[in-house]
Amino acid sequence: MAQTQDNKPLFIISGLMILYAVIASSGILHPLMKYLHTAKTADLQVTMGFIAGGIGILGALVNSVRKPGTTIIDRFVLQPLPGILLILLMAMAIRWYVEPVVKLISHSLQPVLGFKIYKVLNLNYVILGLLAGVILTNTYGIPKFAQAGVKCARFVLKMGVIMLGARYSFAELAKLGTYSIFLVGFFVLGTVFFVLWLGGIFRQPKTMTGVLSAGMGVCGVSATVAVAPVVKAKSEEMAYTIGTILSFGIICMFVFPTIGHLAGMNAVQFGAWAGTGILNSAQVAAAALAFNAVDIKTLKVAEIFNITRVLFLPIIVLVLATWFGKESGKKLTFKEVVIDKFPIFILGFLLLFAMSSMGLFSPPTHYKGKFIDFSYNERSQVTEKEWETLKAALETGAIKGLTPEQMEAVRDLVAQRQIAGNYEDRNDKKLFYHQGEQRMFQLESILAAAKAKTVEIPKDVKAAIKHAVKQVHKKSKTVTTLTDCMIWFFAFGLIGLGMQITKKAIMQAGGWPLVIGVISGTTKAVLSFVVVLWLVKDVVLK
Amino acid sequence: MSEDKIKIETGDAGKGESEISRDANTEELEERALSVFASERNEDLTALILSLITTFLVLLFTKWL
Repeated sequence: MAQTQDNKPLFIISGLMILYAVIASSGILHPLMKYLHTAKTADLQVTMGFIAGGIGILGALVNSVRKPGTTIIDRFVLQPLPGILLILLMAMAIRWYVEPVVKLISHSLQPVLGFKIYKVLNLNYVILGLLAGVILTNTYGIPKFAQAGVKCARFVLKMGVIMLGARYSFAELAKLGTYSIFLVGFFVLGTVFFVLWLGGIFRQPKTMTGVLSAGMGVCGVSATVAVAPVVKAKSEEMAYTIGTILSFGIICMFVFPTIGHLAGMNAVQFGAWAGTGILNSAQVAAAALAFNAVDIKTLKVAEIFNITRVLFLPIIVLVLATWFGKESGKKLTFKEVVIDKFPIFILGFLLLFAMSSMGLFSPPTHYKGKFIDFSYNERSQVTEKEWETLKAALETGAIKGLTPEQMEAVRDLVAQRQIAGNYEDRNDKKLFYHQGEQRMFQLESILAAAKAKTVEIPKDVKAAIKHAVKQVHKKSKTVTTLTDCMIWFFAFGLIGLGMQITKKAIMQAGGWPLVIGVISGTTKAVLSFVVVLWLVKDVVLK
Repeated sequence: MSEDKIKIETGDAGKGESEISRDANTEELEERALSVFASERNEDLTALILSLITTFLVLLFTKWL
């Protein structure tokens, strides 16, 4: 029993997990969970607590009765287990308590600030996990018992990156207008190469420039996390890049709407500019709404450009993997660059992206598991009560101030009880989908106008329209579950990587990434502003 | 022989510094300090296999069963 002393932390952590699972299963925490909006995960909280705690106790018992060795089980399970469970415990605390509390605080601050701070600062498990790791390592330090476990972080993060592939689909990219693909493609690739070139000029390490180029070019935080292992970026370089992107994005979020108004941009032009120039999806939406909260077109166009930018991620990953393989060695042949130096885990990411594009997880035209289904389905209908409300409102003329198109969409909603194309056109899928899309667009415009108080609609009618729009928005269970796995892998990996970021390492990185980020970001914003004003006139929506 | 020694930033979990011989393969040592795997290829392959198993299980329980 000589090892019992070393197993104390493992026994304590496992015991805490089991204790939490017992308390959670008793229902005592239910009111708190409800308040934090985590009640849906109650079963998961109990199951994870019992399973992880049980494995921990088992590992600790095995460690107590046998001498440590060098077998595979020792290296990959028994030695890292205390660290793995510590990180998992931190991830659980962040996902179920810290993140919801940050969201609640952010909601309460919304009336004062005018936006949700957790969305704008991306204060989700990614940033909170990294911060938790950084705080622990720079205050208490990584406990000795957890050191082997921390070494699993990068490996788990790679699993998360592979899962990320399931969230995108090539069919969604193909569905978008050729125009936005060319425009965004030019700026994404242009920024990536511009940052790589700037990195060369300022003599920055290739690992740093590689990760920064993806962050500045594609979609901010997820691109940074996905590309970091490809270009072998250090943890602090990844953290630096995320910091640069988010701070630059916050400035853009406030500056873009003002410039847009001063330049007299129309809704479509601003949407295109914000979607191209701003990096973080939440910041794009915030800027679009700040520019124009009434015309839904601004947000729609911004979202289309934003999605197009995000969908370039697999291409950028390929480009950077090849670039890094080529740059890190001396004289390499094509085979060495593409086959020997190519990170194998990226094949997994591309494989899941291909599977997702083929429709294995969800209808191929999904984006992050969400898709719109206009097909006739009882589950897509509004409720009987809602239908009666809408019908009565139409008959009594309670809905006022709508455009003829908006009125037509409401009339059709009453006729069909759901948002869909014309029944007689159901065999022509393209036309049917287009009709449904137009109707949904009109109904969403009504909701936006009601929110901005430019039209007067009774509350229950508004609720019925809202429900009708919600009903056609479907979510794939498979992609949602794969995304949940990805979130846990990312949360685990980023806490572990955060633990590798010391103050000294941050100081060593210096201010150059910020300089490169600001130069490339500003160049992109200015160039896209000129191009959008010059080329985008009005309609880019298909 | 102190001039043949160099300092690298490794230590446990990438923290701290270690003194090693100038001839040592620093890249490999740094690599090992950051991962439980013997090489990055092993790490990538394991991540790939485990992710595919996870995907298969998710498909099995959410779609096929």
